[in-house]
Parts: sequence; structure tokens; C-alpha cells
Amino acid sequence: MDHPAPRHAYVHVPFCRHRCGYCDFALVAGRDDLLDRYLAALDRELMRLAAPLVFDTLYLGGGTPSHLGAAGLGRLWGLFADRLVPAAGAEVTLEANPCDVTAELVAAAADQGVTRVSLGAQSLDATTLRVLDRDHAPDDVRRAVGLLRSAGLAVNVDLMTAAPGQSLAAVVADLDAVAALDCQHVSVYCLTWEKGTAFESQRRRGTLAPVDEGLERAMFEAAIDALTAAGFAHYEVSNFARPGHRCRHNEAYWDCRPWEAFGPSAARLLGNTRTTNHRSPTTWMNRVLAGADATGDVEAMTAEEAARERIVVGLRRRDGLGRAAFREASGFELDALAGGPIARWVAAGLATDDGSWVRLTRAGLLVSDSLWGDVLG
Amino acid sequence: MAIDCKHIRNFSIIAHIDHGKSTLADRLLERTGTVEKRQLKEQMLDDMELERQRGITIKARAVRMECRHQGRLYELNLIDTPGHVDFHYEVSRSLACCEGAVLLVDAFQGVEAQTVANAYAAINQNLAIVPVINKVDLVHARVDEVLAEMEQSLAIDPSEVIRASAKTGIGIDDLLAAIIERIPPPAGDPAAALQAMIFDSHYDSYRGAITYVRLVQGTIRKGQKIRFLRTGVTHDVLELGQFVPQRRACDELVAGQVGYLVCNIKDVKQVHIGDTVTIPGDEAAPALPGYKPPQRMVYCGLYPSEGENFEELRDSLEKLAINDPSFEFQPESSEALGFGFRCGFLGLLHMEIIQQRLEQEADLDLVQTAPNVTYQIKKTDGETIEITNPQDVPDTGQIEEFRQPVVRTNFLIPVEHIGPIMQLCTDRRGTYLKTEYLSPTRAMLTFDLPLAEVIYDMHDKLKSVTRGYGTMDYELVGYFPADLVRLDILVGGKKVDALSIICDRRDADRRGRAIVKKLRGEIDRHMFEIALQAAIGTKVIARETISAMRKNVTAKCYGGDISRKKKLWAKQKEGKKRMKSIGSVDIPQKAFMAVLDQGTER
Repeated sequence: MDHPAPRHAYVHVPFCRHRCGYCDFALVAGRDDLLDRYLAALDRELMRLAAPLVFDTLYLGGGTPSHLGAAGLGRLWGLFADRLVPAAGAEVTLEANPCDVTAELVAAAADQGVTRVSLGAQSLDATTLRVLDRDHAPDDVRRAVGLLRSAGLAVNVDLMTAAPGQSLAAVVADLDAVAALDCQHVSVYCLTWEKGTAFESQRRRGTLAPVDEGLERAMFEAAIDALTAAGFAHYEVSNFARPGHRCRHNEAYWDCRPWEAFGPSAARLLGNTRTTNHRSPTTWMNRVLAGADATGDVEAMTAEEAARERIVVGLRRRDGLGRAAFREASGFELDALAGGPIARWVAAGLATDDGSWVRLTRAGLLVSDSLWGDVLG
Repeated sequence: MAIDCKHIRNFSIIAHIDHGKSTLADRLLERTGTVEKRQLKEQMLDDMELERQRGITIKARAVRMECRHQGRLYELNLIDTPGHVDFHYEVSRSLACCEGAVLLVDAFQGVEAQTVANAYAAINQNLAIVPVINKVDLVHARVDEVLAEMEQSLAIDPSEVIRASAKTGIGIDDLLAAIIERIPPPAGDPAAALQAMIFDSHYDSYRGAITYVRLVQGTIRKGQKIRFLRTGVTHDVLELGQFVPQRRACDELVAGQVGYLVCNIKDVKQVHIGDTVTIPGDEAAPALPGYKPPQRMVYCGLYPSEGENFEELRDSLEKLAINDPSFEFQPESSEALGFGFRCGFLGLLHMEIIQQRLEQEADLDLVQTAPNVTYQIKKTDGETIEITNPQDVPDTGQIEEFRQPVVRTNFLIPVEHIGPIMQLCTDRRGTYLKTEYLSPTRAMLTFDLPLAEVIYDMHDKLKSVTRGYGTMDYELVGYFPADLVRLDILVGGKKVDALSIICDRRDADRRGRAIVKKLRGEIDRHMFEIALQAAIGTKVIARETISAMRKNVTAKCYGGDISRKKKLWAKQKEGKKRMKSIGSVDIPQKAFMAVLDQGTER
């Protein structure tokens, strides 16, 4: 296939101590016995690379990569060796559970070249953490941030809103608490009720209720206002960063640049084809180790489909979409693909358009899922 | 070899739906050797896919059978009839070609509403009736009671009733004998001038129009010239024959026979059901009394979901109309829906069938407005107009009299349900006429009811009240003045013409409230608030609000999420396909049916 070599890589580490009620990610909880098989399979999958992948960004997601501990991380990096090679100034992100963040782990991570840690804090309120099934306390988050910062690592804090029973005041308190932390990046996710989760089945039984949509909106707006006021720039639907601290890895996704990916459920984009590995960690391991095909979904897009996707992920960014950059990257005129919808959005106050840049207004962002149907065609 | 008139019998089978008419027809085909047993598909005569799906016969068909009786060969022509109340018109067409009718009654269900209606239709045309009680072998059969019901309601002598089971073949020979003995042969002179009645037609893409005829006088031969009296057009007979049950060509058909003609007629508009076929020139026979044109009771608008499919829809409607003269359509336009057609149907089932056929056969995405009956308005200037679309109701000041169709409705029900049915009919502004007892356990209740109150859900209500044991039938009595108003619906402050209805003024509040409430459930939330109002003239009588969508945004959209999220977004889009945008509000197809909601409180 003829496409530029990827300079970004994602590795999925599917281990967790336990599965939280809202989570539908690909993971195994309490199955640390599978670690050897996982590493063997990952080793095997990395052999797919014909040449060393020199990366600008590497993201270790999960699951809970920090669950591997210092020793496990060492083994993981042993596999990367000369196959995933950092370019100068590369960004390396590790997702971590606050309880896992020990001095030993921080030292190991920094030693391996990790530059950024994303903490699954979710909340700094004990009640909310309990509702969300989390195993840490608010102080664990503060302690973890302290450890990471003293090792010179940049920190992202994941925050969740619209947890069952959560009030707007509780969200505001969480936001204040996060702003007071020495973190460089915050991701705020409104709870999504995913099929197959414990939360969703309780919702169906009527024992757990989502918060009202109006309240959900108020929480989201509170997050935008509070974090912006605290000096974070809102740069994508759910993401906020202090100057110079945007997540470069995620920006590669939203720029539709090619990236490689390894591990169960991991998705890579090479050319216009997105290939997703099998979601089940055990199936993925078994297939990879048996030398069989371990991919699940393959989405082969035409150039136009890829360009339409670029419009959607681009407009989810607060900078919006620039016509010239879009033309150069996709080979299409923005207005040829979405001129009509854009004009309608502008008329309805959902977007602004200064002739070179199209950007959603806050009103547009809040209901943006309703807009994409017109673009994706 | 020409057959003598006196050895021909033309008959129909009439029955209530599900009483076994198609099975009996199959059995007759098999017993007369017309179709071999192993070729017999179930329900041989129902050849439209939809008929099989729904288990009902929609279009009349004719089949020729041969039967030896007391040493002589007879030709039996079975002209099939539909059983549903919507298709009375087709029943009468079939009966006009017959000298007799087999009246089939289920030995368990007994006499039901369409049994009575169809039997009277046959009796009124002076047909010989051959009564049959079917399914006598069933364990639950209540033969004696049903015979008593037949005697009570239709004055049928129990000793004349043939006991049969179409399923197992019991009584089929007796029935064939009775058809030959009791039904008179057709009158008619093969030597007279040709006079034949067109009772049906269908379009064959290879042969053009296939015209179904019953010869009343004279003889018709292959290659001869014929003339259709109504159009005055002359054709060559390229092929003629009979249905056995497939088309089988022959050289001639004589007076009394039933068959088909192929004349290379590419435009089926030239074939009029009820027209008379004769010969060109001065010797031509006079026209036969034609059929009453079918009475369309129900109208609705059919619009293409995508405006550019208008011509396709027209083509499809034309094709359907070819085989179904009881269906009519005219272009109309709606502010809300754009260009479409106002279509007239015999009844609601007929409407559903046409809509299904359009979607199945033509693959068209349609928006259908709620059906309405036809009204008459006498204007103050003396003119009387027919209203098939609520949009056409003039200003109140111009209306002297607003009339609605009233139907005489017979309910055949177990006696314990008389009370609830009385209540139902009274609630619907019915006028009670009489109660007749067919037996100690079953009664026939007769009411005059506004057709609009009967047509939409009366059948369902009846079935639920009587736990499935009640049946109903109705016929138009006429148009009578009533206190009617047009109720308009406004969506986001804009009147949506396609949602207007006509209703009794006393029901307007209740209907208005029910409609806007239903609409609130049918229309998705938008990015802005939407007001739903029901109004008479400028007076708003009911209001609901659809609040604006507050938040609809996917939180996570990273590398592994995008494929899945795109599918979700596409689904939101897919849901919009069957919608019409009115102003900036997307209204789903289902919402146009919301106006049928009657509301619960009476």
C-alpha cells in the first residue's frame, strides 16, 4: 500500500484490577496470569513492522497500563526495543490508575521515556468515586500528581461528569479541585451509557438513572467555563490544555495522520483504511499466537469518505477547520462536500465561517452529533 | 368443439373471510382434474404474493373446470370473489357474470357479517344459491346451530345445505352435483350478435392487456374483429381462451362461456371494466348494463419522500391502476409535502394493500397522509362540492350544509357483547336501528354510523370487545348533514396542511388534544423548541411543546472510536430518511398518522 509511514503508535494494555460499572473497554480484570501470553502476543504482533517505526508520539492505553507495575513496564519496553523508536522530542503517554502511581513506578516510567501520564481520576469527590466503582480516594489523586510532577512528567487528569446522582454543585467542586492541582491537561467526559455495561443493565432494570439532559448540558458548560477561567484552553469537545500541553498523540488522530496500533481492540489508520484488532483480549492473544488473523473490523474508505470523516473530527476541535489546510490534506474543497450544511449551521447560529475557517459555536458543539449525518452522507 | 350453453355453469363462491373459500376452490380444481394434486399450490387462485401473505383474495379470477355428471360433460366456470368488506364492488362484478353462487359457512364460526352481506348481494342479483356448511369434520363444529343461524338470517332450508369439508374432501362430489343441478345454465344464443361483458383485466408485459369476458350472446373467434362499445375502438382478436387455471388458448368462445381475450392492447386505459364487447358495424349488439362505478370511500395523500421521485410514483400508480380500476389517483400539491397524489380507495384494507404494493413492487419510499372519508358541502351559493381532502374545505361563511357519509353497519356478535357494542356505537354518534337474534347465543345489531367513525378502528375495537368473535359489515346509506369542522394542526407556528382533519365539532377538543399529544411523541426533539397546536380557524384549542435538544455530543472520539461513532451518526441520519422537512422541522412519516388518534376520554 502506498501511504506515508506512520509516526504515531498506540499500544493497548488490557489489564485492570477490576472492571468499573460504566466501562466497556477491551480488558480483562483480575487475570494477571494472562500477562505472559499478552506480552508474547504483542511481541508477535510487533513483528508485523517491516522496519522500525520512528514515532513522534506513543500512547499506552488500556485497560490500565500502570497495572503492569514497574517490572511489567520494563518487559513492555523490552519488546519495543528497536521496533518502536522515539524520535527526538517524542511524546510518550502512559495511562495510570492513581493507586498504581508509586515512586517506583514513576521512576521506571520516566526512565523508559514516558513524558506524560494520564490519570484516571474521574472525580475528587469520595461519593462520586464510589458510584463510579473506582478503587481510589481523592487524596490518591493529589498524591499521584505530586509524585509525577516532581519527576518532571506532564499530567492529564480525566474527569467524569453526569455520574448517576451527581449534582451540578458536585461537578463544580470537582472542577475547582482539578484546577487547584498542578496538572497541564484535563479531559472531561460526560458519562456514556454503553451497551453491555453493568450501568446500562441497571438502567434497564430501573435501578440506576442517567442525569437529566438539561443538567448534563449545564455540567458540560460549567466544565468549559471553569477550566477556561483556570487557564486551560478548550481545544476539543472533551479536552482542555495549558499552553503547549495539548496531547499531540490525540491531535494526530484528529488530523487523520496515519498511525500504527497494537494489542486487542487497537485501531490503526494506514492510508484511508482503518483496521481494528479483535476486541476480545483472549481471542486476540490466541489468534496472534496461532499466527492467525487477529483483526476485527476493516473500514476501507474512499478518498471522499476519508475527507468527510476529516470534516467531522476536525470540527470537533475548537480551532475548527481551515479551508486551505483541508484542501491540502484531503484533496477536496470543503464547500464541495459540506457547503450546504455549513451555510445552514451558520444561519442557525451553530457555526461561524470567516471564509477561511469554519468553527462550531458552543451551541453547535453541544448538539454536534445531530449535524454529522449531513456531512457523512 | 363448441359446447352447448345448457352444459355450462357459471358460479362464484361467497363466504366470510377465513371460512375456507380458497381451500374449497382448490378442492374443486383437484376433484375435477383441472389441477393435479401434486401441482396444487395451496390457495391456487390467490396468485398475487400479497394475497398469499395476507391469506385473502383481492382480485376476481376465473377458472374453467370440466366435470362429468350423469354421463354428460359440463363446463364449470368458477369466478372467484374477494371476501373483505372493502371489496364489495368486486364481488358484485363477479356475481354479475354468474347464474349461481356457492354460499360457504364455517361450521364453527357460523353466519358472520360478510356471509350476510354477500348472500344478499347474490340474492338481489337473482342468483341460485347453493349453501354449503364447511369444516363439518372439526371437533368444535356446531352444525345444527349454524344451520339454524343460516335459516334464521338468510331463510335457507337446512335440508338444502351440503355438509362438506374442503380440507378433507367430504361432500365435494355432492357439491359438484348440486352446482350442476341447482344452478341454471346461462341463457344466450351462440348465433346472435356478439355481446360480452368485460369483468376484469390485467396487464401482461408481453401480451399487453388481458381482458376477462363473459359472453352473453353470440360467438367470438380467433382473428375476428371486435369493438369495445365505450371507447369505440376496434381490435383484432389475436388470442382467446380460458383459464385452466393458466391461460389456455382455444379457437372460439360461445354465449355463456367465460374466458379471456388478447388483442395487442398496449394501453390498458382502453379496457374499461363493465364495457361491452361486440362486433364492428351496424349489426353490433347494444351495450349491456355496465357496472356501477366503484365507490371510493377513503382518500389519502401519497407523496414521494424524495421530491424528485414524483414521476416514478406516477408511473407506479398508473401500473397499479391498470389492474385495479377501483383505485383512483389525481395529482395534488401540499405546502407541507410538495407534489404528490390524492388517492381514492374502496376502504382501509384496500389502501394498505396499494401502499404495500407500491413499496414492494416499485421500491418507493412514501409519505402517506392519514386517510379520510369523502364529504359533501353545500355552499351558500347553491353549489354542492365533494371534499376528498380536508384542505379543500371552504371558509365557514361559505358553508350552508356540511354532510358526511353514513353507513348502515351490521354487527354479528355473541349476545353477551351486545351491551359493550351498543356503548361503542353510541359513543361514536351512531343511530340504533335493530337487534335480531340468529340463535339464542348470537345476534345481529344494526346501527347507522358516520363512516369516519367506522373506518379507522371500529373493526379492531369490535374484535377486542368480542374477543375475536364479532364480525361487521357495512354499506353506504347516504350523505347526511352534521356539525363538522376542519381542525388544523400547526407545527412551529406553521399550519401543516397534510395534518388537517375534518371532525365533529363536539369531538374537536378531544381530538385536538389527542393529536398534538401524539405528535409530541412522534416528532424528535430539534435544536429549538417546537410548538404543536390544534386550531379551528384562528382559535387554538390544544397545545403541546417539544423542548429543544439540550445536548447531543459524543464525548470520546479517539483512534479506536471513530468507526463505531460514525455508524451511530449515520444511524441518526438514516432515521431522517422517511421524514419530511416542514419549515425546519423534520416530521416522520408516522406522525402523519397521528391525526387518527381518537383520544381516550369520550
